Amino acid sequence: MDPLILSRIQFGANISFHILFPAITIALGWMLLFFKLRYNATGDSAWMRAYFTWVKVFALSFAMGVVSGVTMSFQFGTNWPGYMETVGNIAGPLLAYEILTAFFLEAAFLGIMLFGFRRVSNRIHTLATVLVAGGTTLSAFWIIALNSWMQTPVGFEMRDGVAHAVDWWAIVFNPSMPYRLVHMLLASGLTVSFLIAGLSALRYLYGDRSESMWKALRTGVFTAAILIPIQIFAGDQHGLNTLEHQPQKIAAMEANWNTGPNVPLVLFALPDEAAKENKFELAIPDGASFILRHSASGVVPGLNDYPGNHPPVFPVFWGFRIMVGTGILMLVVSWSAAFFLKRRHSLPKPLALLMVPMALSGWLATLAGWYTTEIGRQPWLVTGVLKTVDAVGPVAGSHVALTLAIYLILYVLLLIAYLGVLVHLALKAAKDGDASPLPGVLDAPLSQPVAQPGER
Amino acid sequence: MTFDWPTLLPLIFASLMGLAILIYVILDGFDLGIGILFAVAEDAEQDTMIAAIGPFWDANETWLVLAVGLLLVAFPLAHGLILGALYIPVFLLLVGLILRGVAFDFRAKVPAGRKHRWNRIFLLGSVIASLAQGYMLGVYVLGLDFGLAGMAFGALVALCLSAAYAAMGAAWVIYKTEGELQKKAVLWLRRALVLTALGMGAVSLATPFASPRIFDKWFVWPAMLYLSPLPILSAVLFGWLWWQTFHLPKADDRHALMPFLTLAAIFTLGFAGLAWSFYPFVVPDRLTIWQAASAPESLAIILAGTVVVLPIIIFYSFYAYRVFGGKATDLTYD
Repeated sequence: MDPLILSRIQFGANISFHILFPAITIALGWMLLFFKLRYNATGDSAWMRAYFTWVKVFALSFAMGVVSGVTMSFQFGTNWPGYMETVGNIAGPLLAYEILTAFFLEAAFLGIMLFGFRRVSNRIHTLATVLVAGGTTLSAFWIIALNSWMQTPVGFEMRDGVAHAVDWWAIVFNPSMPYRLVHMLLASGLTVSFLIAGLSALRYLYGDRSESMWKALRTGVFTAAILIPIQIFAGDQHGLNTLEHQPQKIAAMEANWNTGPNVPLVLFALPDEAAKENKFELAIPDGASFILRHSASGVVPGLNDYPGNHPPVFPVFWGFRIMVGTGILMLVVSWSAAFFLKRRHSLPKPLALLMVPMALSGWLATLAGWYTTEIGRQPWLVTGVLKTVDAVGPVAGSHVALTLAIYLILYVLLLIAYLGVLVHLALKAAKDGDASPLPGVLDAPLSQPVAQPGER
Repeated sequence: MTFDWPTLLPLIFASLMGLAILIYVILDGFDLGIGILFAVAEDAEQDTMIAAIGPFWDANETWLVLAVGLLLVAFPLAHGLILGALYIPVFLLLVGLILRGVAFDFRAKVPAGRKHRWNRIFLLGSVIASLAQGYMLGVYVLGLDFGLAGMAFGALVALCLSAAYAAMGAAWVIYKTEGELQKKAVLWLRRALVLTALGMGAVSLATPFASPRIFDKWFVWPAMLYLSPLPILSAVLFGWLWWQTFHLPKADDRHALMPFLTLAAIFTLGFAGLAWSFYPFVVPDRLTIWQAASAPESLAIILAGTVVVLPIIIFYSFYAYRVFGGKATDLTYD
């Protein structure tokens, strides 16, 4: 089989699997800090109980993120040698700074954050939480800077077919970087909010009415309700930025085949690239022109301006719609739940039942969004500089196919195990309620049965 | 050789990468070794052994990310060449590291009945990762030779490096535990030492005989004289450590850290020998560090960050080790 398409699927599979976990850890670190600070301020041990429940999720997600991230650092070389050969002078320093400033910081203080509560002072433990959360965010900063540079490259010059850095400030803060970073950080916040709200709703359904459940549930629901309108606004701004810098991506997202005014907003369609038209189209007249140009007669770029140089339409079109649809559902669910929690101090059972699967809505929206923007960059690996087809290595297709198959099996099994543990941890917390021992928090004798020996 | 930045920077980065690999091999060596020793440890012992590495393994593995990262960013041509040639072993290493890393966490969080399964996965992952690293070392030493001889030699080194890691793991257990487990670890160390010594001997002999260029670097006067401390000192340290295994553990737990430090010293000596053999090549006999290096201005900006950040990293790493210093106790989140 074709090594190019196999390598693309393999990298896509790896990075899709990988992003699930940073999407959790980036914001969960700050969420844990919030729990910790509430505990420090109120002395209410329910906050610490919430902390200990969720720090386990953090530990597991962090480990999954690390191992899948290591995989990618090798795959640049094994499958995509052309990437570093062409833009290594730019990508290299950005990756190096991620490792040096973020990875070590997270990894070193993670141990103290996880197991150090009774070994260091409370203040140092809080500081360790800050440093880990800061490390994950810093890591996101560098990798988003690199990804955004691949989308909208500036601040470099080509010499003998190799990119050389000219202006580092321009490279890091390239045109799409601030928008993408904000969009991704908010996406992480929403992923975690819905995860916490969903698993707390599961505890609620199992009859858990403990203080730690309520605290986690309220934190998740209210954070989601606050973040989602901000995210919708930030996403819109990001779209306008893409219109300015990558119009061919917008054309594919809207499945707009011809440049012109009065472009409708297509709600449903099966884009047909061969016939250059949409089948079964359902659209709002002038909608796209209005959203993108704020006027019904606004001109929206069409795919006809980019023959042979635009991304595949179908996945970009649908990726975008799945992301937006999930976002709207998030808005409805989080605001309803916030209303009931605020006004009625309870959660209707049907809403709780809906919130449980919505625990993974952040994952769905994040993946759909990344597919939109990454497939939307094709056929370029680095826009205007390096095509994906020119970066692939000379490795045999059979090798890639074999390793891809094993990776996929491994990822599916790990995902099942991961979700199983999340549910197990939630049900265990539901069973313990406010009664689980907290030897380090309460002034209780240490001989109480604590977590299993060797637990981490 | 002129000492301007385009000459110096690749040299500095080769040294940094070497340092990162060495630190990785020593630090993750004991993590992987403890995983290998799961094969011969009992349930309760396994929990203590995990507690001895739980707070550190993540940071330890980060040194591998740094090493591969430096190869990637400083020597992009070599990164593609080496990892492309080692496609399948690299894949196995990654699978091993994935299994090992997640098993760490899963084993403590799954319902009690499933813990055994993750213990076995932890063992399996550690063994696969160690074997893959050893195999890659063997094939690399012979100049990325994929003939039958190269693969056989790779298999031998795979076995020996795994034994070396097991020795490191045992030495770490001696340092971090007490009582019966500590005594057991002394026995594990003694057995693993045999294969470790065999492996180092094999690599030391194969390296010069596989390449006339390397042969000429070792067996000419007076280089032979300057280099003689490497093998002699290694042999002395091996002998001393072997002798120690008949006397450990000592009263008041004296010298509990010595086996680990001795092994780390042996690893460092072996590594120095390899570095001398292969310098100035990053891909044996094909690409020198200067041919494979990135543009000087890119290296300079990484170096600026490294000079500032690396001391800080080493400082807080020491702090983290100190927080969890002393004998390993049960690890709990609360």
